[in-house]
Amino acid sequence: MSALDPITLQVLIGGLRAACDEMGAALIRSAYSANIKERHDCSTALFDAAGELVMQAEHIPVHLGSMPDAVAAVLGERHEPGLAWILNDPYRGGTHLPDITLISPVFVAGELFGFAASRAHHADVGGPTPGSMPAFSKTLADEGVVIPPTRATAAELEHLAGQMRSPHQRLADLRAQQAANRIGELRLAELAERHGAELLRTGMAEILAYSERRTRAALAALPDGTYRAEDVLEDDSAAGERDVLLRVAATIDGEHLRLDFSGTDAQVEGNLNCPLSVTKSAAFFAVRVLADPDAPPSAGAHRPIEVLAPTGCLLNAEFPAAVAAGNVETSSRVADLVIAALAGARPVPAQGQGTMNNLTLANDEFTYYETLGGGQGACPDADGPNAIHVAMSNTLNTPIEALETEFPLRVRELSLRPGSGGDGAHRGGDGLVREIEALAPMRFTLITERRRHPPRGRGGGEDGAAGRNLLDGELLPSKSEGDLEPGNRLRIETPGGAGII
Amino acid sequence: MLLGVDVGGTFTDAVLVDAGAVHTAKVPSTPGAEYEGVMAAVAAVLARAGAEPAEVESFAHGMTVGTNALLEERGARTALIATRGFADVLEIGRQDRPDLYRLCAAKPAPLIERQLRFEADERIGPEGVVTPLGEGEPERLAALLAESGVEAVAICLLFSYLDPSHERRLAGYIRETMPDLHVSASHEVLPRFREYERCSTTVIDAYLSPLLGRYLARLAEAAAAAGLPPPRVMQSSGGVAEAADAARAGAWSVLSGPAGGAVGAGLLARAGGERNALGFDMGGTSCDVCVIEDGAVRRTDSRRIGGRTIQLPMVDVHTVGAGGGSIGWRDSGGALRVGPHSAGADPGPACYGRGGTEPTVTDANLVLGHLAGDSRLAGDVALDAEAAATAIDRLAASLGLDRLRTATGIVRVANQEMVRALRVVTVERGLDPRDFALLPFGGAGPMHAAAIAAELGIDSILCPRAGGVLSALGLCASDHRRDTARTVMLSGANFSAERIAAEVEAMIAAAGVDDDRARSELVYELRYAGQSFELPVAGPTRPDPADLAERFARAHEERYGHRDPDGKVVLVDIRLALVAPGHEPRPVAAAVARLDRGSRPVWSGEEWVETPVLRGEPAAGTEAKGPVVFELPEATLVLPAGWNAEVDERGTIDAGFQSHEMRAKGTTT
Repeated sequence: MSALDPITLQVLIGGLRAACDEMGAALIRSAYSANIKERHDCSTALFDAAGELVMQAEHIPVHLGSMPDAVAAVLGERHEPGLAWILNDPYRGGTHLPDITLISPVFVAGELFGFAASRAHHADVGGPTPGSMPAFSKTLADEGVVIPPTRATAAELEHLAGQMRSPHQRLADLRAQQAANRIGELRLAELAERHGAELLRTGMAEILAYSERRTRAALAALPDGTYRAEDVLEDDSAAGERDVLLRVAATIDGEHLRLDFSGTDAQVEGNLNCPLSVTKSAAFFAVRVLADPDAPPSAGAHRPIEVLAPTGCLLNAEFPAAVAAGNVETSSRVADLVIAALAGARPVPAQGQGTMNNLTLANDEFTYYETLGGGQGACPDADGPNAIHVAMSNTLNTPIEALETEFPLRVRELSLRPGSGGDGAHRGGDGLVREIEALAPMRFTLITERRRHPPRGRGGGEDGAAGRNLLDGELLPSKSEGDLEPGNRLRIETPGGAGII
Repeated sequence: MLLGVDVGGTFTDAVLVDAGAVHTAKVPSTPGAEYEGVMAAVAAVLARAGAEPAEVESFAHGMTVGTNALLEERGARTALIATRGFADVLEIGRQDRPDLYRLCAAKPAPLIERQLRFEADERIGPEGVVTPLGEGEPERLAALLAESGVEAVAICLLFSYLDPSHERRLAGYIRETMPDLHVSASHEVLPRFREYERCSTTVIDAYLSPLLGRYLARLAEAAAAAGLPPPRVMQSSGGVAEAADAARAGAWSVLSGPAGGAVGAGLLARAGGERNALGFDMGGTSCDVCVIEDGAVRRTDSRRIGGRTIQLPMVDVHTVGAGGGSIGWRDSGGALRVGPHSAGADPGPACYGRGGTEPTVTDANLVLGHLAGDSRLAGDVALDAEAAATAIDRLAASLGLDRLRTATGIVRVANQEMVRALRVVTVERGLDPRDFALLPFGGAGPMHAAAIAAELGIDSILCPRAGGVLSALGLCASDHRRDTARTVMLSGANFSAERIAAEVEAMIAAAGVDDDRARSELVYELRYAGQSFELPVAGPTRPDPADLAERFARAHEERYGHRDPDGKVVLVDIRLALVAPGHEPRPVAAAVARLDRGSRPVWSGEEWVETPVLRGEPAAGTEAKGPVVFELPEATLVLPAGWNAEVDERGTIDAGFQSHEMRAKGTTT
């Protein structure tokens, strides 16, 4: 068994979880941008001194599996109390540029004890496209300011914010992240004081081992074998209507799982590329959903899972490939793919909407970024819920009364899309419809998926309806950018989930 | 004489306070016709006190009628009228899924199905009316309501918190032409921004009001027939309202039950000279915790109940699924877990001897000697110690631990759940639990209090004499209260003393409380322009804007570590409570000690310690040093070494922790 008794273990898990939750609450409540304060597009976590993720708040799945790489990127640096690190470079610990990570070392009795980290999707990080979520970027430089791991001094934060749109808001959001990290530092130090640093250190190691044991137990329950699946992404933005192929071979060998993405297309000219950390994050998410949703969310759960993706492929892209959509869309497809492969080993849900339906509306005065829910695929024992985020995101929507007060926009409709969920013994959930009218000249960007290839049914269940993007009634491709004049209306109909039999 | 009656899931409790003497009665609840149980409890307590109905000056009532109807979806058939294009907002909500990793975890179904969600041809935006309410819309919508045979309608239009004219016209027309239909209009229920939260609250209000109205009408009739004063009803806010007002506003009394306990905890804390206390009510299946801050129950203004959002001022009661019946089990990673499954009242813990075989918290307490083998619990059940030991042993074998270690573990893990709940209401709200006394009540609370206090660094415990009926006692003490709030969004030139004072005056006039003892409590909620969450600052009816802004900036700095010197301050909401203070009953200790002194072994975590046991009602001045067990008529207080207890003149056991070295040995098992 373990070094720690099962009771103390639960006590420490509770304390660390409460600390992460409190960090998240401070970040959301003091942030300025709608994306963080209304939509909660942010995450918080605590790490041990070796950089292993020990506990995280239940926020955004795509952040959670990839944050360890951010801490790893600064682990070898010299740390001092009170001096945090900031980064967003997808090739050095980041995911895509809008996700800025702040990492604060935590010292106990003069010794490095661990790290408190927060990640938030910022409304703008500079670059040519307002909102920094371009549909047609071809290199990282097209997507905004790249921040390698840097000491987050007050002057540095001001300097960085100065290169982005709405610098005052950027700075305020970064300060909200500082507030979150400060709470993480305080709480971790308090736990060390209360339980003793040595016991807490042992406890953190045991939490990792405990999550690992649980994941191993869940994997051991699945039949050994190699299970394969393939799926596509639509319309690499630079190449027009062309599918990009993704493949996985999932090999269960006792308590171990290898996910090999060999055979996936090479990295693309557009921005569907993923750094490996995003691919891993999506893979870990899918395994957690299928294996053990209740294990403490620590990196121990990742230990029995090996993720392989050839360098230079879509799922392990190399600098300077553009990555804006990889984090949001490709990650969703990787989760679908892993779930589809493991259908050979156990019952799994039918496909959900498989996209976040990223919408950005912006001009020099404002940035509004939203991701839209859709239909969840039916589960073997339940209907898929309507109009929710289905995989790598779980952000809230922006209230209409907040959105119209802050931005020159009028929402014309927010409704369910009846009948878009696929039929079956259990039905897929319905997608939703959001129609927005511009009240001022602005730029729109759409990064969406499942417009040509609908979510697939399982066991003969009906497919969900594909999504649609319309500008004043005219269909738009899945990735599009353009100008809106006052009176123009964008209508987004999100995909329905597929059914299951 | 003050009469309070609290309807719980199993029992209905009545308390009659007569110049300090507290008479109590407990009768079985009568689900479906709760007022019958209420009247039976009233008759019982009057008989016990030898009092006449005419002697009762006030009759306050706490209930779970609304809560249960909401949780069990037994409210009225209700329709919704929303702005065209937005009838589904109620169902879409905020689009998040309830469980990150369980993809098909269901959200609760909307209380109003799609066919009953109607849309009005109109639109208001932040700048005012965009599309006027269509000619003939009130008539068309009223006809749809009539056709659909609903009992209630919720009206929630976009931006009605800024401009209620369209809601007003619709509500006015429907009320006039369909007088039997209950109408809840969102600008009346609570005029605050965020359409989903406002809509959800308004729908709950409409859904519960007809049911509540019928129930309260019957109760009022029964009370009048019995010669009692008209009942007042406990609101979720912790104040009572006239039954007729409560009947029209169903969403306001959803937490009526726990609010009584919270107010009771506040009363006992004040009476014990403690301004700051954490109320901790542990029953069979769950545990409710609340914060008493500076003598008053802390409130919140939004929460979910059964997965549904209510955005109204409520006592900040946080509930976790840890109670005496919570079951201990081993999970796949080999850790010991407790709950959320509970053995409930039937079969109940293994020691009830009613066929339960799973090890519960109560079984663990019995094995450890915290609970006496000859205690009588849950309607006079004789305990079966052997059944408890057998149940614990089975779990012990799977964990590779011995019986005592396992039982200790069950108690510790359950305590951890409650500690977490207490941390939610303290540290997550920026409060330090060490600044508070712990006030345990409910059947199981006092047994766990010392360990929980140790875990949180608390060194004072107040264990009230009336712990078993504290909710009913709280009802006797409740303020008469009316809460209202309004989104005003004042900044720049509008953030002026005149403008604020005018808003406050209008709110006070609109609230219309005709009680000349009523005082107004005002809270101003401010934020920096650009933020979405406010920080509350208390203030007078005519506040100085500069002072409000400075106090907000200070609160922001305290909470988040910085202030924004360039930030523009916005006054978002004004919250007003008109409060006519309630009675302050002073319970007294038993005049003569009826104490049996004995002893029994109690497991300290390391060894059996022969521990003195005081059984019965201790008189004022009774002193004891831990380790000691008080077996009160309704609860057991276990105090390990290091605690010193003294009974005060109200019968409250006031225990203080003495030595930190002793604590390390004694209670952190």
